[in-house]
Amino acid sequence: MTGAAATVPIGNPAQVMVFGATRRLGDTEAMTSVDLSAQGGLITVLGPNGAGKSTLLRCLATVWLPDSGSVLIDGLDPRHESDRTEIRRRVGYLPQNSGLAESATVFDVVDYLAVMKSVGRGSTHPERWRRLEVMELLGLVGLADRATDKVGSLSGGMRQRVALAQALLGQPSLLLLDEPCSGLDPEERSRLRSILGERRRRATIIQSTHLTEQAAFGDRILVMASGMIRFDGSPARLAGLADGKAWSQPNQPAADATRTYWMTTDGHYRCLGSPPPGAKTVEPTVEDGYLLLLNP
Amino acid sequence: MSGDLRPPPPPGGSVGPPGPPPGVDPYRIERNWMAISAELFAPQPSRVERWLRRLSVPPSVTRLMVATPALRRAWFLALALVVFIGLAAADRSQTREDLLTLLVLAPLVPVLGVSMAYGTGSDPAHEISLATPLSGFRLVMIRSATVVACSVVVLAAASLLTGAVSTMTFGWLLPSLGLTAGSLALMTFTTPRRAGAIAAIGWVAAVIVARNTSGDPLAAFTATGQVAMALATGIGLVTAYQRRDRFDLLAEST
Repeated sequence: MTGAAATVPIGNPAQVMVFGATRRLGDTEAMTSVDLSAQGGLITVLGPNGAGKSTLLRCLATVWLPDSGSVLIDGLDPRHESDRTEIRRRVGYLPQNSGLAESATVFDVVDYLAVMKSVGRGSTHPERWRRLEVMELLGLVGLADRATDKVGSLSGGMRQRVALAQALLGQPSLLLLDEPCSGLDPEERSRLRSILGERRRRATIIQSTHLTEQAAFGDRILVMASGMIRFDGSPARLAGLADGKAWSQPNQPAADATRTYWMTTDGHYRCLGSPPPGAKTVEPTVEDGYLLLLNP
Repeated sequence: MSGDLRPPPPPGGSVGPPGPPPGVDPYRIERNWMAISAELFAPQPSRVERWLRRLSVPPSVTRLMVATPALRRAWFLALALVVFIGLAAADRSQTREDLLTLLVLAPLVPVLGVSMAYGTGSDPAHEISLATPLSGFRLVMIRSATVVACSVVVLAAASLLTGAVSTMTFGWLLPSLGLTAGSLALMTFTTPRRAGAIAAIGWVAAVIVARNTSGDPLAAFTATGQVAMALATGIGLVTAYQRRDRFDLLAEST
């Protein structure tokens, strides 16, 4: 398929289609026969380390190609050079290691990427529009007043916000965020959710995270383990997997019927598994469903 | 969290800005304010960047040249090496053979620069830059051209410092281009640093073989050697272009 076959114009959420995508890293299959179809909304990829989350995001960002199977973004195939370039015009990507140059200013690192993304291209004053968008995005992530500061002087959370501003450049219709909450404090996470909540109307957003609370905020959750998708559904459905299987008790539970448990702040034990007779079941959370899914 | 970009308060402070008159789009006013603020508060291009623009280099290219941290580091390393070579050679170059050190080492400077100007190991923004529409081949060519141009200017000055005025003094020029093009071609097969190392080792080996074969220490820099390096430049660039897809994808080891 080539660029001419693209049917979804820029401006709408990107259409993502993945068919049996497999990617090997050395002798290991980092991603195995992944199928995915999405357009619009906020999708969270949840899973333990080494589950294949970053591999999936890298394949969607077209920086890696699958060894077998295919990835299509808006009908464009990244294996073809012209399609890949067109896809990259539509993608905003925040990699796990965003790699900001310590000695550069906040403005410069975002502007540098804006040049690469051809922001402002086609306007009468491309440079002026590019600088405007950079400053707008720095304002959006709350860093406009740090534009002239060196990246090296920023905290981890601020750097992550700079990387987010980079990802948001050029109004991407596909936003790929690998661990966007890394280093963010609760207030910053709240701002991130607000930004994503606003963008999910115009873009397909796929984020990977370890944080179940971040996943609960999204429209859809993919749980990956050992390179495969083990669950694909809404946060409520994932929580529903633990329906009637989550309970609380004051004493440490016996290991036989309890798959996992932990002590909560009130001194009780929150347990997952087959509740004993008379156990007080509690409202399941996304985390409960996730833990049960990965500990069958 | 702070940092909202808002218009500055009006002079006098107490009088607020008038609301938009009827029929005027407040979004447009807000955006105009934003544009003015961006012009006022965004950092201006650096002196080097402004100087490059005066040389008619397009602003989008100057940004890529100047705002590339890996390139800055590569430049510093290349320049330090060049100064060292120039000074060492200037002390002793009384005969044709005394140029050997400069001639052998000078082509390695741009190779070192290019190998440190691209790839995951050198460029912290490598992965994110791959996901942009700018082709990796174009980016690596811009960076390579910058490193080579800078190296050539300083190496030429260092060559003149040696005081030995002969065509052989600039015998490093074509080998520099040949080795750079060769390492670019090798970068499509292996990591940039490994490519640079292979090119450098290959170059030194070629000089030694040429010397041992002909008995002339500068045999690699004679007309035959120069023609060979011109050919290497062409072959290297063609290979790099034909395999340009490799510059567009992230190395597996990342």
